[in-house]
Amino acid sequence: MSSAPRKTAGAGVLRAALAVAHKELGESFRDRQTLLYTFVLPLCMYPAMFWIMVQGVLVVQGQKQARDVTIGVVAAAETAEAAREQLAVNEEGRGRIEVIALPPDTPQETQVIAGLIEAEEADALLFHPAERDDADPAALFFDSTSSQSETARGRVVSALEQWTAELRQEAADARDIDPEALEPILVQTRKVNPSKDDGALVLSLLLPMLLVVMCVLGAFFPAVDLTAGEKERQTAETTLLLPIPRLGLHLGKIFAVCATSMIAATLNLLALGLSAGHLLGQLAGLGDGAPKVELPLGALISIAPLAALFAFFVSAALTGVASLAATFKEGQALLGPVQMLFMLPAMATNLPGMELTATTAWIPVVNVSLAFRGLLVGSASAGPLLICALSLTASALLAIWFSVRLLSSEEVSLSSETIPMARLFRILRSR
Amino acid sequence: MTDLTSAIAIRAEGLAKTFHDPQRGVVEAVKGVDLDCRKGEIFGLLGPNGAGKTTTLRMLSTILAPTSGRALIDGIDVAEDPLEVRRRLGFLSGSTGLYPRLTGRETLRYFGRLHGLEGDRLEAAIARAFDAFDLHSFGDGRCEALSTGQKQRVSIARAVLHDPPVLILDEPTTGLDIMASSDMIQFIDSRREAGTCVLFSTHILSEAERLCDRIGIVYDGRMLAGGSLDELRAMTGKEWLEEIFRELVQRADAGEGAA
Repeated sequence: MSSAPRKTAGAGVLRAALAVAHKELGESFRDRQTLLYTFVLPLCMYPAMFWIMVQGVLVVQGQKQARDVTIGVVAAAETAEAAREQLAVNEEGRGRIEVIALPPDTPQETQVIAGLIEAEEADALLFHPAERDDADPAALFFDSTSSQSETARGRVVSALEQWTAELRQEAADARDIDPEALEPILVQTRKVNPSKDDGALVLSLLLPMLLVVMCVLGAFFPAVDLTAGEKERQTAETTLLLPIPRLGLHLGKIFAVCATSMIAATLNLLALGLSAGHLLGQLAGLGDGAPKVELPLGALISIAPLAALFAFFVSAALTGVASLAATFKEGQALLGPVQMLFMLPAMATNLPGMELTATTAWIPVVNVSLAFRGLLVGSASAGPLLICALSLTASALLAIWFSVRLLSSEEVSLSSETIPMARLFRILRSR
Repeated sequence: MTDLTSAIAIRAEGLAKTFHDPQRGVVEAVKGVDLDCRKGEIFGLLGPNGAGKTTTLRMLSTILAPTSGRALIDGIDVAEDPLEVRRRLGFLSGSTGLYPRLTGRETLRYFGRLHGLEGDRLEAAIARAFDAFDLHSFGDGRCEALSTGQKQRVSIARAVLHDPPVLILDEPTTGLDIMASSDMIQFIDSRREAGTCVLFSTHILSEAERLCDRIGIVYDGRMLAGGSLDELRAMTGKEWLEEIFRELVQRADAGEGAA
C-alpha cells in the first residue's frame, strides 16, 4: 500500500474512533455509576469529607477542653496544698481541674494507681517529691486508653509547665539573675523551608496515589459498560455492524474509557487539592508552623502527559479484561482483582525511601506515582521522567494491542458466557 | 444470463462456519450453504432453532468471518471488503439492538453520520424516517423507555436510514406483539416494491408463506432445499409448507439428498 492510501485509511480509523468515542462518552455520562465516580465523588465527596473531618476534630477538641477533670496529688500536706493552688486554675472556656489530696503513703505501683483511675477516684495521679531539691522527679500517672485520663494528663502537664516557669522566675529573682540562665541549654527549632513546602509534602503523600486510584476507578465502570454491558444489552451485534473499520470501533471504546478516566482523575486531583488547602489550613488554625497547602498547578500540568499515557494504559487493560465477561456483574467481578494490580503498587510508593530513579522509572504504575511525587516536591529530574514516559508509552501500546486483540475476537465479542482467564492466551495467540 | 447475475444482491457459495466450543469441541454450525437472492426479492430462511440461520446471516453481514466458502453482498466479497458490505447493508434482529441510553433521534443521527450522511442530508433523512415510521410521539425519548413495538420501529428506521440495497433480518418478529409483528410484515413486504433484496430468517411458517418469493429450508447447518413455494411443492409432493418442511427434514435425517 502506498503512503497516501495508508494515510487515508489511518485518518478513517481515527475519525471512526472519535465518532464512536463521542457516542460512547455521551452514553456513559447518562449512566448513574459513571456519573457518580466521575463527577459526584470528586465534586461533592472530598469537600464534604474534609468538612466533616475538620468539624469532627474541632468538636472533639472543644469537648475535651470543656471537660472537668480530677487530679489526685500524692505529696506532703504542704506540697499538696501548693499543687492544689497551682493546678486548680479556672480558665474561660475550659473545664475545671479539681485537685484532691491522696494519702502520702499511696504506693507508686502501676496496679494500685490503675485501680484508682478505674474506680474514678481520680483521672490522673501526680506524685510530687517532698522537697524541691529532691532528686526524684515528679511522676504523672494516667491511662492512655481512657479519653478522660488522657485529657487530664494534657491539662496537668500544661499547668505544671506554667508552675515550673513561675518557680524558675522566683528562683531567678531571688538570685537577681536572668531566668534563662537557669536553663543550661536553650533550644529553639526553626525550619529553613517555607511552610508551603510542608504543604507540598502533605500533598505528595496523597495526590500520586489518588491519581492512580482515580484513573483506575474512572475507567472501571465505562470499561465494563462498553464491553460486557454491551453484550448484556444485546447491542454488540448492532455495534459490529457499524460501517466503520473495526480497529476504529475498538479504539473508540478505549478512547471513551480513557477520557472518563482522565476526567475522573483531573476532577479528583483538583477537588482534593483545593479542599485540602482550605480545610487543612482551618484545622491547623493557620498558625505560623502550619503547613500551607496550595493547589500545585505546576506539578499538575507537568504530570498531565504522563498521566494521559497512564490513563491509556489502564483504560485499554481494563477494557480488554472486561470484554471477557458476558454480563456487567461478571465484568465487575473480573476487574476487581485487576484494579488491585494497579492500586497496590501505587500504595507501595508511599513506603519510606521510594523515589523516582532510573530503575523505578521503568516500572509501570510505580513510575507515574513517583514521578508525580517528584514533581510535587521538586525533586524530579529529566532522565528518569523520560524513562517513565517511554515505559508508559510501551505499556499503553501493549495494553491497546491486548484489548483490540480481544475485542476483535468473535469468541469474545459475541460470547454469551464469560470466558475463563485460562482461555485468554489461546485467544491472544489465535489468528 | 448477464442480467440475472447482475440482479443478484446476495450470493453464498459453500458458506461454512466452525466454532470451537470448550464443552462440545469443534461445532460445525453451518456446513456449506449456497444461496442467491435477487434485488426486489424476499428470501426466507426457514428452520428450527439451532439450524444455522443466525450464523449464516451473521456471516453474510460480516459479523462473523466464514471458515470456508464465499459470500457476496451487492457484488462485494464479505471477506475482502467487509466495510463496503456493511455500508450497503441494513440489519435488523428481533432484539432490536438499540442503545438504551440514546434517544431514537440520536440513534438515527449516529448511524446516519457513520453512513456518510451529514448536515441537511442527514436531518432530511431523519425527518423522512420520523414520518415514514411515525416516530414523532416517542422518537425523542430514550430507547430504554420505549415499548417493544416502538423500539422495533426505531430499529427499522435505523436499518433503512441510508437506503441500503440489501436488508438482512434475523427473526425480526420474535418477541413482538400482534400489532408490532403485523407492522414488521408490512414493512418487509413494502421493501419488495422499493427494489430492495430482503433476506430474513424465521421459524414461523405462516410468515414465510405469506411474504417470501423464495424459501430456503435450513436444517442442521445445511440448506436442504431452496425455491419458490410452488417449486418446493413440486420437489416434495406436499401442499403446505409445514408438510414440505417435515418431508425435507425426514429425508435429511434418513440420509437422502434433498434438493
